[in-house]
Amino acid sequence: MKVIKMLLRLCTFVLGLFILFTSASIVVSPKNNSPASGMEEVSANGILGEKEDTIDALIIGDSESYSSVSPLHIWNRTGYTSYVCGSAGQTLDYSETLLSRALENQSPKFVFLETDAIYRDVSAQNVLLSSLTGLFDVFRYHNRWKTLNLSDFIEQIDFTWTDKYKGFLLNNKSVPSKAANHMKESNTVQQISSVNRQYVEKIKDICDESGAKFVLLSTPSTINWNYERHNGIQQLADDLNCEYIDLNLKNDTLKINWETDTRDAGDHLNYKGAVKVSDYLAEYLKSSGKLSDHRGDKLYELWAEANKAYETEVSKISA
Amino acid sequence: MTFFSISTYFSVEYLAIFLPLSVLLYALLPQALRRVILLLASWSFFFFVSGWLVLWLLFTTVTVYLLGLLMSRLQDSCGAALKALPKESRKKAKKRSARQQRILLVTGICLNLGVIIVLKYSPFFAEILNAVLQLTGTDFTLEKPSFLLPIGISFYTLQAIGYLTDVYRKKISADKNILRFSLFLSFFPLIMEGPICRYSETADALWKAPKLRYQNFVLGFQRILFGLMKKLVVADRLNMFIKTVFSSYGDYDGLFIAVAGVCYTIQLYMDFSGTMDLAIGAAQIFGIPVPENFGRPFFSKTISEFWKRWHITLGAWFRDYVFYPVSMSKPVGKLNKSARKRLGTHFGKIPAFAIALFCVWICNGLWHGAGWQYIFFGMYHYVLILGGNMIEPLALAVTTKLRINRSVFPYRLFQMLRTTVLVCIGELFFRAESLDAGINMFVKIFTDFSFSSVLDKSLFRLGADIQDFFIVAAVVVLILIIGIFNERKISIREKALNKHILLSFALSYALIMIIVIFGAYGDGYTPVDPIYASF
Repeated sequence: MKVIKMLLRLCTFVLGLFILFTSASIVVSPKNNSPASGMEEVSANGILGEKEDTIDALIIGDSESYSSVSPLHIWNRTGYTSYVCGSAGQTLDYSETLLSRALENQSPKFVFLETDAIYRDVSAQNVLLSSLTGLFDVFRYHNRWKTLNLSDFIEQIDFTWTDKYKGFLLNNKSVPSKAANHMKESNTVQQISSVNRQYVEKIKDICDESGAKFVLLSTPSTINWNYERHNGIQQLADDLNCEYIDLNLKNDTLKINWETDTRDAGDHLNYKGAVKVSDYLAEYLKSSGKLSDHRGDKLYELWAEANKAYETEVSKISA
Repeated sequence: MTFFSISTYFSVEYLAIFLPLSVLLYALLPQALRRVILLLASWSFFFFVSGWLVLWLLFTTVTVYLLGLLMSRLQDSCGAALKALPKESRKKAKKRSARQQRILLVTGICLNLGVIIVLKYSPFFAEILNAVLQLTGTDFTLEKPSFLLPIGISFYTLQAIGYLTDVYRKKISADKNILRFSLFLSFFPLIMEGPICRYSETADALWKAPKLRYQNFVLGFQRILFGLMKKLVVADRLNMFIKTVFSSYGDYDGLFIAVAGVCYTIQLYMDFSGTMDLAIGAAQIFGIPVPENFGRPFFSKTISEFWKRWHITLGAWFRDYVFYPVSMSKPVGKLNKSARKRLGTHFGKIPAFAIALFCVWICNGLWHGAGWQYIFFGMYHYVLILGGNMIEPLALAVTTKLRINRSVFPYRLFQMLRTTVLVCIGELFFRAESLDAGINMFVKIFTDFSFSSVLDKSLFRLGADIQDFFIVAAVVVLILIIGIFNERKISIREKALNKHILLSFALSYALIMIIVIFGAYGDGYTPVDPIYASF
């Protein structure tokens, strides 16, 4: 009897807490995904402002992803739409969150997971916090108490903002890399933590369920990539039966010049490097035969406009 | 980095996994196994925080346990042998046994203090030695050693030495059960920052491992929430501002430094007393009574009283194991006698008091850290307490002459404010990057003071904006009000629990929502390690 009474009290307490967290989450959640609304990782979350079912390919990952892939360059070459849901130091729990969020409105045919994040440890704290923040926005946006106003209590959520470069970081800085050959062949395999492995499996399952092809993608980086990591990801790709593209081993095609194509001595690519990676991906998507050219389609007018602005900016930095 | 590790009591891993799991297992198991769970949880907690440095804890446990046992055997055998001996030989045998016991005590103290001196203080001593060598013109410098410190070493070492001394003084009998002794030394809610417990206070309760009770659970849970509020809403919210001003004080005027000094005092109090709330709250959930470490220190009227209300268990430890032994030692006793004869009752007791107090405060300063600023901090309080004691008759005479009633509230408030200002000055030196920096900052308050940073609002652009200061002030006022109730022996948590369950729920909800909404965590905030955990 005593135990039942205790359990009842506990359940009542938890129920009350649930109601409070839900109410607070409704109030503090940004009502738009623009930077001014207080949205987190605005560039990555710009996907939420894209028109429904208009994105052909998604790229998720850490800073390597948004430094290496330019969706508007791919658009320019092929007329395919893509978006980079990348954020600095992204861990796989957040990659999963971003992917799930994006798939609520989009049905991409391809999802590329940049592999650098797979070697970034996810702690128990990350897992717990991302579960909590997934359930209740108040844990993610609690700091918005400083900017709350009446509209936060009455307005509905309406995401309308999108990033002008579709998640790409346009950077023309050039700092040469001194690394001679970062992909020295080796038989050693850099192990992937079991937690991260589970996250990759989960991301692949989400892609499978939504009908998107899941591809592991390693973009060029002399600092973050090596053959040991390549072997680790290759093993993972074999186990999961998915495709793995390691652009670090495709320099004969890509022709990354480490003197000119990196903005920070081999850590990340700059615009020039990103063009080469984007060209490769454009060809890859084209060869799949699964996508159609949207240029000229009225539904994609905003993409044409974004491309114009992008080209103007590119011509400025290239001049 | 491993998937599961605990950094502090404030980490999600501890609060959401480790503590609830320990409580759940404790609640489900029978009494005989509950104590085992507590011990296993304590060792694993230490391991999750400090890894294999847990071996240092085991070293202290084993050495102190064995020495205590040996000492107790000596005491027993001496007692039995004395009865059998003729009267004239008894004194000799007693002396021999006392000497042997003293050797055991000194061995225990040296072994354990040796560990802490090597791990914590050797870099500081190497620095001093190098400075001396440089002064003498010697062309040799000692490489500064660097060691990883196990968590709570400054706390559990004092607890272990206290235990051994109590056995030596025959206040307690040595524990024959190494597991019980080990649980006393390593109980996980207290291992990181105390309170520093006495064996006689907690060992039995821990070993009894009482049944989980609803009342204890609710009160302990709310105490943990209260601690989280202090740490996350106040201490951590102020951190960026304090860090910025203290690390580059040269860029800021006197007002910034004065505000930073006050903010640091608030931060330190909220941080340490908040951690104590987490420690005592967790112990309360298990039904283990532990001594309080804070008693509303900012209600103190003198510095001496302040130290009876701030870090109470450390003060009591120094009183019992440093102050009394020194003041009761033969040379100090002799000095006391002759000084009383020459200087009268009041001033006569000052020299002996000064010597014992000096030992306490040099130890207190060094205990906080290996650095000159900590020694200065100790000496600062030493001078204030000694000075306060010396001028007390004079102060009494002056106030009597001026017909000032020392018991009225305005005068007591003045005393409290005066003490708070003195504490803030001490904490300014304590937090400063070095002793030089502390002096420069203090001087700057008087030589470079202006209100322009308030007028142009630049004060609110250093990691804490006006809203941050507002929320900090609101919670400080809330804690002040609760403090006033506590000072009158009224516990709001107990009142709410006894009145109605919904009232108790409402209190918990209010605390949770304050923490969740106003806490300094998540994007834009770096978790701040509890300050005392590094001492």
